[in-house]
Amino acid sequence: MSHPVEQHPVTKTVERVDAREKARGETRYLADIPFPGRLFARVVRARIVRGEVVARNTPSLPEGYILVTADDIPAGGKNCVRMIEDDWPVFSEGTVRYYGEPLALLVGPDRATLAHLTEQCERAVEFRQQEAALTIEDALLCRGGAIHGTDNVYCDYQVVKGDPDGAMAGAARTIEGEYRTGFQEHVYIEPQSLVGTREEGRVTIYISTQCPFYVRKAVATALGLPQEEVVIIQTPTGGGFGGKEHYPDVLATTVAVALTRIDGPIELILDRMEDLEVTSKRHPSRVRYKAGLDEAGRISAFDVDIAFDGGAYESSSRVVLQRGMFSSNSVYEFPHVRVRGRAVATNSAPSDAFRGFGAPQGLFAAEMFLSRLAREIGVDDLDLRKDYLLQQGSTTMTGGRIHEEVKLPEMLEHVLRVSDYRRKREAYAAAARDNGANGTDGAASAKPLGGIGLALFKHGSAFTGSGEQEIIKARVRIRKRADGRPELLVSNVEIGQGVLTTFCKIVAQVLEIPYTDVVYDDHNTSHVPDSGPTCASRSVAVVGYLLQEAAKKLKGRLHEPGEFEVEQVYKHPEHLRWDAGTLSGDAYPSYSWGVNCIEVAVDPLTWEVDVRGVWTAYELGRAIDEEIVRGQIIGGAIQALGYAGLEKMENPEGRFLQRTMADYCIPTSLDYPGVDYALFDNPYPWGPFGAKGGGEVVFDGIGPAYAAAVQQAIGREVTRLPVTPEYISELVHEK
Amino acid sequence: MSTPAWIRPATLKEALTMRRDYNARPLAGATDIYVRHRAATGTLPPLEDRPVLYVGHLPELTSISEDGKGWLRIGAATVYTDILEHPDTPLLLRRAIEELAAPALRNAGTLGGNIGNASPAADAVCALYALHAEVDLAGHAGERRVPIAQLITGPGKTTVGADELITAVSVPMDRPGSFHYYRKAGTRRANALSKIAFCAGGTVLEGRLTGLGVAVGAVGPTIVHSRDLEVRAEGSDLARYRKLQQEESAPGGFLTARYMALISPISDQRSTDAYRRRVTENLLRDLFERTIPTLLSGKAG
Ligand SMILES: Cc1cc2nc3c(=O)[nH]c(=O)nc-3n(C[C@H](O)[C@H](O)[C@H](O)COP(=O)(O)OP(=O)(O)OC[C@H]3O[C@@H](n4cnc5c(N)ncnc54)[C@H](O)[C@@H]3O)c2cc1C
Repeated sequence: MSHPVEQHPVTKTVERVDAREKARGETRYLADIPFPGRLFARVVRARIVRGEVVARNTPSLPEGYILVTADDIPAGGKNCVRMIEDDWPVFSEGTVRYYGEPLALLVGPDRATLAHLTEQCERAVEFRQQEAALTIEDALLCRGGAIHGTDNVYCDYQVVKGDPDGAMAGAARTIEGEYRTGFQEHVYIEPQSLVGTREEGRVTIYISTQCPFYVRKAVATALGLPQEEVVIIQTPTGGGFGGKEHYPDVLATTVAVALTRIDGPIELILDRMEDLEVTSKRHPSRVRYKAGLDEAGRISAFDVDIAFDGGAYESSSRVVLQRGMFSSNSVYEFPHVRVRGRAVATNSAPSDAFRGFGAPQGLFAAEMFLSRLAREIGVDDLDLRKDYLLQQGSTTMTGGRIHEEVKLPEMLEHVLRVSDYRRKREAYAAAARDNGANGTDGAASAKPLGGIGLALFKHGSAFTGSGEQEIIKARVRIRKRADGRPELLVSNVEIGQGVLTTFCKIVAQVLEIPYTDVVYDDHNTSHVPDSGPTCASRSVAVVGYLLQEAAKKLKGRLHEPGEFEVEQVYKHPEHLRWDAGTLSGDAYPSYSWGVNCIEVAVDPLTWEVDVRGVWTAYELGRAIDEEIVRGQIIGGAIQALGYAGLEKMENPEGRFLQRTMADYCIPTSLDYPGVDYALFDNPYPWGPFGAKGGGEVVFDGIGPAYAAAVQQAIGREVTRLPVTPEYISELVHEK
Repeated sequence: MSTPAWIRPATLKEALTMRRDYNARPLAGATDIYVRHRAATGTLPPLEDRPVLYVGHLPELTSISEDGKGWLRIGAATVYTDILEHPDTPLLLRRAIEELAAPALRNAGTLGGNIGNASPAADAVCALYALHAEVDLAGHAGERRVPIAQLITGPGKTTVGADELITAVSVPMDRPGSFHYYRKAGTRRANALSKIAFCAGGTVLEGRLTGLGVAVGAVGPTIVHSRDLEVRAEGSDLARYRKLQQEESAPGGFLTARYMALISPISDQRSTDAYRRRVTENLLRDLFERTIPTLLSGKAG
């Protein structure tokens, strides 16, 4: 780690609040918490990909077991999992859109009996099967008939900057490219889990989740209850990565419906294989580019067509897509731009949030296309990028402004220096020319093929557009307790990212007290205000700022007698503009920036990729805690390397083939080397002590940097993620 | 007396009696059995309705000894970690075990289990083929010794008798001139199953090749090997080896072409047939065009 600048005291590492109990294995995850009289539940699933239920033939159940279906949804309730649209049913009423879709929930006292009954119930269902649509192309052709609406298109957006048609028409030359990315599974530490019960008459759900208020909204809607009648309590959550953003709603609603028939407690914990097979994944993507060049060879028009595979129900696809669209110009400024984006329906499990939220797909395509442009134009990759870099005051592709100083040039210089990029890049190019080994089938030499690649990128912190203002409306409170300690009342939760510590540090820094004096342990929706979900790189950037401002109101008042609260409500910074109708203006309040460099050696016998070095630089405003940020940088890089090179999930016939952790391989500590990093300080006025988001930008750039490195090593253009040895061998053997 | 669910015999003799009387299922490290019989969380695995016979503690099955004739006899229930730590374990077997599973699994898994499970992707078994290992079996009626390749007949299929236990595996120890060639292309760097396992070994002394063994895993229903081809190369010096290789003008010569004709890889959730085919060919060529000629020409350093 290098420290380009002096650290602010808030950046100094402290011991994480939850470090000891987690390291000692004392943390109680949901499965560890005793619930006397607990019953168990299993989801009865459709074992087909697409079709209609013809007959259910439910077997008779032994005493003490109940089968809960859509018929049990109470009057006033609704058979939907409320997210953005209401299309995803709690229980299928007959139509099956993806393999494993819930038909019913079985509840009873003995797990072995339940497992047996579930299989019996599943086998007893008769279906009329239909041809499934499993790819973006299938979806657009409405293979097997439309799944959604008349055209399988959940949403179709367009962003226009300048005069792209005119510029493209006047172009001296055009260059095109197409890029694809695959599914990714979150593999959070513990599988999806919850216990539903009734406490003081109210439906109460204990759950592993990122977003307790999302669960509350979904459960209240399904049951037709006022939201206050539903209580959600978050239990320790070992990583979410987006997989516990909306999916917990899907399970919680099934248990909530069961609670209308039986009091509980009812435990529903997915087995790992079930979890891998039926829960949401990252959106697969197809991104097409066309650039128009003027006479001087400058990029005048930039046309992008993005399609995301949204899966069987819409869930968050439209917002994921928007972020993908807004990432498609990466960190570059072009005068005339059109970006079209569509999220389409397929018969795969619904795609949903995953760290990066659409940005990794957009950025991969953008960076790979830029390198194609450089090659086609005949200029150096880096020089081309530098020519179009966004700067303070630049107009973004949505017509907003870059308000902050852009430190990319110095970050880039730093990464070039520590990685020795220029020398290595030239040496690898020379080696490839010398031995003519590019494209070798391994017969010529067993010597590894070297390559080095770079990516530049940014990630907008917080919800897209005016989402924070219009949708979330975050509210935080700090209670001064009778014992003099401040207690944080927020709905954001610890999911391994360190927020239990960073929030306490922010408030303690303002109040000038030890961070260990701050209390932050109540994760019950009936006790805390809704400060929004734990996602979108927003917890520190947005909620942390509200806590800082609230703490200022408390400053000097900790010695006052009794108990009282201070409150802070989100206010959109006044310099930001957004028009949700035309998707124009400032797409995000602020951006975090990054530069990644990766060096690889590709084995010409097995096409396995050995990552020799990972160098990174980030500008996250200001790090609240260096060790926590380091954890994000390393974890983000390793998870993204898995996405880039290892993690393959396919469903050519509708059911995922990779259903165990032996077949869906995430990286081990032996797969990748350490991650070098540097943090550039650039305090952001509307972030706590200047902090912006850091949870996702650390994922975004690894894919394109890795692909660029492999591309140099094998002398073939890489256009897909993951870059598996199988894919590399195909590229090399293509003539 | 009702049939016991679990048996922990005191001696090999008792184990063999139980095996015969109850048709008991042997269990050593359980690292395959548990995966095969996995069940819903919180429920017991639905094992067959025959008893399980634990053999992992039997001294007769957990010792490693030299037979005085240059062979190492490894008890079938010896855990991988103990095999790795033994000074006389041949390097080829050691390399295969080093890349097999992960430390915790190597503290439990055994050669007997790797053989009994008979997966075409079994890494230790692949090395045993290339080493021409011999397997000792004991039954109530007596003992027999079988070459590894004759014991395994298909995925999950062996000729271990219903009343037999695998007791030991014998491998030749490395000696002057021994070489080994090992490559595993797994799903990742560690704790990974093989997409391809490639093992070769033999001896080159005074410019002559003897005891060549070649085995390729995960490219067919059983480990792919050929006694015939190995015999063709037996005793070759460089000139004879070159001549043999020229019997076919294919890339990689006669041996590569003949081995390529033996493999029948498939596409599955871990890899593709095309990849398995290309990598097998690359490794065969690396072995036959580079490694062996270099050894025979005495230029290896
Ligand atoms: C996470 C994980 C990773 C793995 N990675 C690898 C890998 O990289 N490479 C690899 O090859 N394997 C791997 N395996 C598989 C497994 O660990 C090995 O096959 C191991 O050698 C099995 O040995 P065991 O003693 O645990 O067998 P067990 O599970 O105890 O038995 C396996 C089979 O052999 C039979 N058996 C056992 N002992 C005897 C005996 N003495 N006589 C007759 N029959 C017997 C049993 O009845 C059973 O049919 C992995 C397994 C796991 C869970």
